[in-house]
Amino acid sequence: MAGNIEVRGLSRTFHTTVRRPGFTGALRSLVNPERVEKHAVSDISFDVAAGELLALLGPNGAGKSTTIKMLTGILTPTSGEARVAGVVPYRERERNARNIGAVFGQRTQLWWDLPVRESFAILRDIYQVPQAEHAARLREFDELLELSAFWDTRVRHLSLGQRVRCDLAAALLHDPPVVFLDEPTIGMDVVVKEQVREFLRYQVAERGRTVLLTTHDMTEVERLAERVVLVNHGLLVLDGTLDEMRRRFGSTWQVRATLADAHTTVGPLPGITLVHREGPQVVFGPDGAAAPTVHEALKLVIERYEVTGVAVDEADLEDVMRAAYAQAKAEV
Amino acid sequence: MALLYAWRAARVTPLGELYTPPRMTGVLLRLTVQVVLVASLWRGLYAQSGTTAGMDRGQAVTYAVLAVLASRLRELDQYAGRDSVMQHMHFGTIVYWYLRPLPPQRYHALRAVGEQLYGLAWASAGYVVCLAAGVVDPPGSAAVAAVSALSLLLGQLVLYYVMLLIDQFCFWTLRNSAAMLILVFAQNLLSGVYAPLWFFPHWFITLSSFLPFQATLSVPLSLYVGRIPLSDAGLQLGVQAGWVVALYLLTRFVWRRAARRVISQGG
Repeated sequence: MAGNIEVRGLSRTFHTTVRRPGFTGALRSLVNPERVEKHAVSDISFDVAAGELLALLGPNGAGKSTTIKMLTGILTPTSGEARVAGVVPYRERERNARNIGAVFGQRTQLWWDLPVRESFAILRDIYQVPQAEHAARLREFDELLELSAFWDTRVRHLSLGQRVRCDLAAALLHDPPVVFLDEPTIGMDVVVKEQVREFLRYQVAERGRTVLLTTHDMTEVERLAERVVLVNHGLLVLDGTLDEMRRRFGSTWQVRATLADAHTTVGPLPGITLVHREGPQVVFGPDGAAAPTVHEALKLVIERYEVTGVAVDEADLEDVMRAAYAQAKAEV
Repeated sequence: MALLYAWRAARVTPLGELYTPPRMTGVLLRLTVQVVLVASLWRGLYAQSGTTAGMDRGQAVTYAVLAVLASRLRELDQYAGRDSVMQHMHFGTIVYWYLRPLPPQRYHALRAVGEQLYGLAWASAGYVVCLAAGVVDPPGSAAVAAVSALSLLLGQLVLYYVMLLIDQFCFWTLRNSAAMLILVFAQNLLSGVYAPLWFFPHWFITLSSFLPFQATLSVPLSLYVGRIPLSDAGLQLGVQAGWVVALYLLTRFVWRRAARRVISQGG
């Protein structure tokens, strides 16, 4: 089954009541509540191809989780349309449920009082997975996530990392072509995070699953996603590759060079500006929208000037995201 | 179809109890103490009188002890297992109920079936022990036994729907602790767990006849002890069935509305 996701003009508006401050305000709110509209998601469109991992990024309250809830069929959009593996999720919730798996951060779908394997068995029955297929899939997940060390333990006694690994397995037990992961590695230690990332890479590369991932962990994005969709205040800000995002928001590199001759006159370079100079020490930075990449800038500097030393400072993805969020906020 | 395959979901709460022996020991102790105290209380109350409120000593003791045992039918500790609807709403895990190919209402009903069957095993074991010890009287006839069993089944359905309504409150209020406290008190008082309804004033009995609670326990137990004669059983069973249908329709409507209220934290 093709596990592609199509999102067209998806919007979701919530109607909430504003509580007025103070005792009198609270009383007035009771008698005459003030209703306001909140546009959690506004006219978002994007596609995810089958077998692609897409990172849906944005600051808190940007509309990521609302988007995922609409794609999983939990929420009905106010307008627009979405198809997940060919199914409109909020119209055919049960059919959609067979095509998708989901993990919502630290919220577990496992049964607290039961050993993990009992939870897996319940899900096997609910999804009507044949016994042999279930056993084979558990073996595969055990190899990747080392579950057997604790899958006879009751869920209430698991560590966070163990529990989330079990939740990932639980979400994929019925072999869904599409997987939604809402901050799956939040609060995990680095070792478990890497294990989970390797598991996700395997599911995309080897099993051809489509993964829609939201996270605030930029290392995760760098290691897993080639393409990102950036949302803020419910609006789509960018849909492109990581390089495109860097180009648009992250041209904050610096090239530090030590000139062989301290008296050399430093002239302009295309798209490069002189940020600072102190004797032979010069610092170049990007100039305008047509600025080259850090590697191109380095090449230009070395070709133009005789230098005895050179170093580059490149903004990491965290800086890029910070810049992107700030710019998106300013645009809104 | 998924319902047939999902029977294992019915085992969740009973299995959780079996994995937690202290909970079972606690239940055993509580039931034993309650049965002994209730039997002693009603024997003491009847020491100086023959028949009160239309019930003799044997009927009153039997009614009171069976009420204690029957109250076990739906009294499992979902809270300790972080598995009450209120907790699922609070932790946001209710979303998973809507992500499976088993509708939430069927999942909820399956869980209740498992819980009530498990509770029935406890109540039946207690009943056999009490019967053997002479604490409770046997049913007057096979017909009485059959009619009271049918009435108990209908009563448990009524109780399920009442409890479900309280759970459904959580979709609007996120919490239902206060409603649950009121319900437990009302249920125990108006269904005759604290004392058979026959001992209450006439106006109270009339009032409770407009509520579903007496259909849960008072009717089946009164049929069992013979306080309601078999000749009136048809009417009583009809009233119970009416409550089942009315509450089924109401809760089905509320489930539909609740699906629109599945909210959870986070943007």
